[in-house]
Amino acid sequence: MPIAKRSENPWMDRNPPRSDPRAIVIGIGDYHVGTEPMTSIGLGSCIGLILHDTRLGIGGMAHIMLPESGGKRDRPGKYADTAVEILLKDLSKKGCTPKTLQAKLVGGAQMFANFSGNLSIGLRNVEAIRELLKKNGISVKGEDIGGSKGRTVYYCPADGFEIRVRRADGNCSEL
Amino acid sequence: MTVLTPAQLDALSELGNIGASHAATSLSQMLMGEIEMTVPSVEIVDLADIYKHVTDEVSALAIFEMQGEIEKAGYVIFLMPLHSAIRMTNTMLGMADEDREINEMDESALNEIGNIMVSAFLDATAELLGVVMLPSPPVLVIDMGHAAIQQLLVEVACDVNEVVFFHTKLVCDQYAINGDLLMLPEIHTLSQILEMMDKLLNAHS
Repeated sequence: MPIAKRSENPWMDRNPPRSDPRAIVIGIGDYHVGTEPMTSIGLGSCIGLILHDTRLGIGGMAHIMLPESGGKRDRPGKYADTAVEILLKDLSKKGCTPKTLQAKLVGGAQMFANFSGNLSIGLRNVEAIRELLKKNGISVKGEDIGGSKGRTVYYCPADGFEIRVRRADGNCSEL
Repeated sequence: MTVLTPAQLDALSELGNIGASHAATSLSQMLMGEIEMTVPSVEIVDLADIYKHVTDEVSALAIFEMQGEIEKAGYVIFLMPLHSAIRMTNTMLGMADEDREINEMDESALNEIGNIMVSAFLDATAELLGVVMLPSPPVLVIDMGHAAIQQLLVEVACDVNEVVFFHTKLVCDQYAINGDLLMLPEIHTLSQILEMMDKLLNAHS
């Protein structure tokens, strides 16, 4: 997709385009399923996973932090395995099936070398999610992943499966 | 996670207050201007609510790992919105152009200023506790505040869903500069700090 907007000097963008103030903010480890606009702000190595049902105009978003839950169930949106599971479960309650669902992934950056040398958690997140989606027969319709910059993502299920991504360098794009 | 008692929260906030005051003083000396500082807040914040404390505004963050007697103690972060950071370098170097991109000079100034402030912060708190705490060399990140903090949370909050979030705002009205001093201690560090503080309080009561 072409870059929709680029300010003259992205670093000095004093009025960054705010997301829809009515949007539900999906914080780290959180998830939401429904028709309301949703946003995940400041995704670093985290992934904003969006599942959308074009037929019903509903979908879900999870702000995933780590690839594996290791059996923990207390915060399903935090881990790739439990997040995919809970999104599918809640979406199926609303009449979606893996066949009608499509996925988009945003985030997974490596912003700086971690102090512990624990590299590329972002890419491990991406790989875990891709694997899980494949296993569940859900096709990936778009990705804006990797790199070294943070991203904010906005998704409004009622408007279709176009999501807006704003990057820390000031670039905005639709995916 | 351990629930902190009001007395413990008070004690932590006082500890932070002493550290942050020293950091604010050092910033004030470097800027040769008056710095106002909010009373530090120490809160237990759910991961899902971090966005209420740190936005996705593009900022400059000087990130330090706390080192010394406590292993892997957590992080201290000095965060400035980008235009504040540029105004700060401008103020210190006598430049006027605000509508420029952040450059290497800003970045090294931020590293240096962050280093001085965070060293003052850790010196003061460590002295009170009777331990040695040192900042690691800084990592400078220009990015969305929330995204950078989130990557640190991967280290601090792998196994927990809440973090202790220490926060002070520093404002210099004279030059329209503002910044945030943040501390994210590891859980085990926190219990060590609390133990030391208990001893300290008991010794004086």
